[in-house]
Amino acid sequence: MNIRQSFKMALKSIWSNKVRSALTMLGIIIGVAAVIILVSVVRGQNIKMKEYYESMGTNKVNISAYVWNGKDVSQQLYDFCLEQSDIVVGVTPNMSTWGDIKYRATNTSAHPTYGSPQVYYGSDRYSQCNNYTLERGRDISFLDVKTYNQVIVIGSKLSEYLFQYKNPIGEKISLRGYTFEVVGVYKAKDTGMNEYWSLDYMAVIPYTMSRLLDKTTQITEFTAKIKNAESVNTAITRLNDFLAKKVPENSGYFYVYSENQWLEQSDEQNKLMSNVLGGIAAISLLVGGIGIMNIMLVTVRERTREIGIRKAIGGSRRTILIQFLIEAAVVCGVGGVLGILVGGLGTVIAGKKILDILVFPSMGMTVGAFAFSVALGITFGMYPAVKASGLQPVEALRAE
Amino acid sequence: MKLLHLTDVYKIYQEGQENEVRALNGVSLDIARGEFVSIIGASGSGKSTLMNILGCLDVPTYGEYYLDGQLVSELPDRRLSKIRNLEVGFIFQGFNLIESLTAIENVELPLVYQGVSARRRREMAEDALERVGLADRAKHHPSEMSGGQQQRVAIARAISTRAPILMADEPTGALDSRTGEHVLEILHGLHDGGTTVILITHNNELAETAERVIRVSDGKIVQDGKTAAEVTR
Repeated sequence: MNIRQSFKMALKSIWSNKVRSALTMLGIIIGVAAVIILVSVVRGQNIKMKEYYESMGTNKVNISAYVWNGKDVSQQLYDFCLEQSDIVVGVTPNMSTWGDIKYRATNTSAHPTYGSPQVYYGSDRYSQCNNYTLERGRDISFLDVKTYNQVIVIGSKLSEYLFQYKNPIGEKISLRGYTFEVVGVYKAKDTGMNEYWSLDYMAVIPYTMSRLLDKTTQITEFTAKIKNAESVNTAITRLNDFLAKKVPENSGYFYVYSENQWLEQSDEQNKLMSNVLGGIAAISLLVGGIGIMNIMLVTVRERTREIGIRKAIGGSRRTILIQFLIEAAVVCGVGGVLGILVGGLGTVIAGKKILDILVFPSMGMTVGAFAFSVALGITFGMYPAVKASGLQPVEALRAE
Repeated sequence: MKLLHLTDVYKIYQEGQENEVRALNGVSLDIARGEFVSIIGASGSGKSTLMNILGCLDVPTYGEYYLDGQLVSELPDRRLSKIRNLEVGFIFQGFNLIESLTAIENVELPLVYQGVSARRRREMAEDALERVGLADRAKHHPSEMSGGQQQRVAIARAISTRAPILMADEPTGALDSRTGEHVLEILHGLHDGGTTVILITHNNELAETAERVIRVSDGKIVQDGKTAAEVTR
């Protein structure tokens, strides 16, 4: 008897036991779908997280340094960063202030979701360090910083709120009572990670304006843009060494960190999460597999007489074994395919509902889930199949 | 060498225990090619056990059984399956049809195991069903047929492979007398065509239709000889 015939026979047998076959498949469908949905959603979360970090700008090193006795190290730190031109491509202060921005009758304090925006004190490298690109107008210039120009570059969401469809370039706005001229607008880059806060609802003014707005010249936070990911650690080491000399112990504090570290950390966490959820889902798949073995054992018992008849008229041990294995593999295979369909659909729905992005299961996982479910069928179908095929025909025929 | 040859065969269940049963207790027997033999005995006499051993459905506890010169106890499972498939056709008292298959699929099953092509298989199965007068019930499931029709499907299955040996265990036991006679006619027809027929029965009248009667009692052969079979036929 050939394999094609065995398949036909197995399909016929599955068809004649529809309800039992469907119940067996249910375990596999749920198991496979659960694995696919959980792993895909975690993967989607990971992708979104990466996009978010990338939108904020990768290969950045954030530096905080403060000395208690009022001694300002910020200029030295800024100059030191600029000296590291082999690995540092730009540096900007990274401090911000809050304040209502008004344009004619529109006041940001009335914004229903975001309220007043965060206003950053930046250098001419602010956009480069923080991954902003201009949509219109110009950026903060070196001269703006040097000559205390009251100019402002705004994010796209803030522009939209204040000016709607009007061109904001050259318009005057008021920030905490001081007048600023809008010179540029940044392109939208927010990924929609947080609904109460947006990377595009912000503004940048020359950092020297801190003297005017906050009555301080001390800058304690900087961001340095590093050439590439490989140089980030070198930059951290150099900055730590420099600051250790400038900020002696008990005279202040300093802290140097990179968002790449966060990214790696969140990557690690996501991998861990993926493994834990995948493990939980795999257990449900295993339970499905045990269900199959259980049902196969019952099937063998129920069909012992049939096995006896088949053996009496010429079915060999091998033929019976193959028939039962194919039955188990087909049940699991069909269950696997249905599980993939349910899992795919579930992934799209869950991705849209939870992450608000379109996530699809990866090809590798789809193939893996199918192969795993068939392997499960063969593994768990093996024991009852061996049991059934080993029966003496006369013993099997006696079964009621 | 005879077609079937048994030497001092025993079949013992729960050997050495308190409830030991000697279903066969030293049976020696020869059956030649083309014979029509009936094995007769009361219920529990060991006649069905004897048929199971002759048909390679069971193995003796002790003794030797040669089928067409081959020592059956030394044959591997695969070869035994081949013998059951190619050499022996079985008709069981309880029909032993597979409920989930239609009449024609049941008849085709031994041919499937032989690897006969689907088209040829269908032809052979249709031919066998026609010979038992059931060509019009080919698509019916066993549950949709009477006992007599089911038995005829079982006969069609046994003869579809054209095996040289046919073993029938109480083939008319569950049938009315008219259907029983029809079944018997089929068996004699096959015998006339050269098939070796072994008929197991507890019915003397039925046994008398054979050309040789073997009486079994308490697992032993107590009578083996020619009868007035020709007269009753």
